[in-house]
Amino acid sequence: MLSALAPELILVITALVVLGLGVSTPGTRAAITAATILGGLVAAAAVLVLPVDGNFLHGMVVLDPLARIFKLVILALGLVAVVFASDSFPGIHLAESLALILFSTVGMMLLTGTEDLLMIFIALELTSIPLYVLAAFAKESRSSAEAGLKYFLIGSISAAFLLYGLSLIYGVTGSTSLGVISNVSGVADPLLIAGIVLTLAGFAFKVAAVPFQLWAPDVYEGAPTAAAALIASGSKVAGIFILAKLLTCGLGHWAGSAGWGQFLPGWAPVLALMAAASIVLGNVTALVQSNVKRLLAYSAIAHGGYLLLGLCSASQESLTAVLFYVVIYALTTAGAFGVVAIVEKQRGGSRLDDFDGLAKSSPVLALCLLVFLISLAGIPPLAGFFGKLYLFTSALANGNHLWLVILAVAMNAVSLYYYLIVLKHAFVLPARDDASPAAAPASRALVLALALSVLALGLVPNLLLTSLNKDQTTKVAILTHDK
Amino acid sequence: MTNDYLLLTVFLAIAIVFPLIPLAMAWAWARLFSPAKPGYDKQSSYECGIESTGPAQIQFQSHYYLYALVFLVFDVETVFLMPFAAAFLKLPVSAFLALMVFLLLLVEGLVWAWAKGILAWK
Repeated sequence: MLSALAPELILVITALVVLGLGVSTPGTRAAITAATILGGLVAAAAVLVLPVDGNFLHGMVVLDPLARIFKLVILALGLVAVVFASDSFPGIHLAESLALILFSTVGMMLLTGTEDLLMIFIALELTSIPLYVLAAFAKESRSSAEAGLKYFLIGSISAAFLLYGLSLIYGVTGSTSLGVISNVSGVADPLLIAGIVLTLAGFAFKVAAVPFQLWAPDVYEGAPTAAAALIASGSKVAGIFILAKLLTCGLGHWAGSAGWGQFLPGWAPVLALMAAASIVLGNVTALVQSNVKRLLAYSAIAHGGYLLLGLCSASQESLTAVLFYVVIYALTTAGAFGVVAIVEKQRGGSRLDDFDGLAKSSPVLALCLLVFLISLAGIPPLAGFFGKLYLFTSALANGNHLWLVILAVAMNAVSLYYYLIVLKHAFVLPARDDASPAAAPASRALVLALALSVLALGLVPNLLLTSLNKDQTTKVAILTHDK
Repeated sequence: MTNDYLLLTVFLAIAIVFPLIPLAMAWAWARLFSPAKPGYDKQSSYECGIESTGPAQIQFQSHYYLYALVFLVFDVETVFLMPFAAAFLKLPVSAFLALMVFLLLLVEGLVWAWAKGILAWK
């Protein structure tokens, strides 16, 4: 079992080594960053090379090809956040911030590799608590302290709701293992309904779905941009993955249906309503934002809505579509926040005015921003278009979700406006003063790599899609034969 | 079962009433019999026999919170150690190793706090 947890163990040891480097003399900025990235790469190699597959401790630690793919994705996002942090965080506490990023990444990786309710909660807390600290890391900034406090308070309350819901589900079904829970059938008794609703409330906070989205704008705006990148990409991937697994594999019996005229009580109508509200609120409120980070937060709320739309169809192909979309969304958002981090370093702020003249001062960066925002808007040939296409077609193919898809497509058209506004500032409006481009070579290279990956996934979606499709069957098979 | 709770209720009532009786008697005596004669020495606050100087409200330094934080971590660690200690003889060696890892992680936290200079009073 220890070898199944080897990637996480390697990351923990790396984090402790980095902390040690931070308080000792060989701990220069470069050494700390290099040690972190080296540890991350060794952990990635461990994920690829480990021969062991299967589940341990009654589903507490599960390793299968799908989990491996997502562990790699999360590792990549963690390393992206590490590079952005090393370029933008001040030197005094850099080692601590990188260690916190690594601990949070360990939590996300544990989330993708578990099928047990208790482990879900532990891993979720391990993901969230370093993110609370990271959100408050910029000590001179009042909005960072506000962001950290709001994130911590709302996150802790949601974790309490989640724990109560999970304990009620355990109480009714008699086991914390998803495999055993999925075998329980029969009419849902009121205690189970309460448990499912409370669990959905806890997860809706993580995904920033309405009505649990109030933390997202303030946290995304106030947190240091590298931390916001990790919150937006990594915790969303892990949250959606485990929510999908919990709902479709564990609680699949009580799905219900959200089709127009086909209403059946269950968690699918709840998700459909949350999705509709998130899509409308996220897209409409983003129209009036003047700070790009806040705009990206409202766009994150809207994209959480699209993901929940995919989940409420509760079928195999919609699950593939959701997982595909969350991966490309995470890559795109991480890249967008990377561009914002570089512009913030250059101009000292991230308002729309600070993006003026980006095309003249850093043309490559402006082109990368174009790729990210147009992908978020869902325009071919970028990856966002294919993600949305698969999501909407799978939603239409499994139940009469036409009402939801029409709403989503209409709001998607609305979203194009605010993405284009940012691009107008970057490409059309002239710069207000001549600030020299910020020197952040590693971040720029990484942003370019992310843009190229978004382009590649758009031109050849099968790069990711075939491995997700193939491994869907493995995932379900492993769940049903554990005890 | 009802018998046990009845016993507890009676016990609770006696535990509340028993200390109140001498207090009530002292109050009644002071009210009815002893004369009121306040004096400077009788009313002043006790400070180990010396005269108190300066105002009573002093400001705590906010640096104190770091000590409280480190104490809290080790206090929670102690709480986790207690059930482990209670079940120690029945546990396999792997449980001992797992708890040693837990202890060492917290000791590493202390070493980090020490090296960062948090424990030095400013």
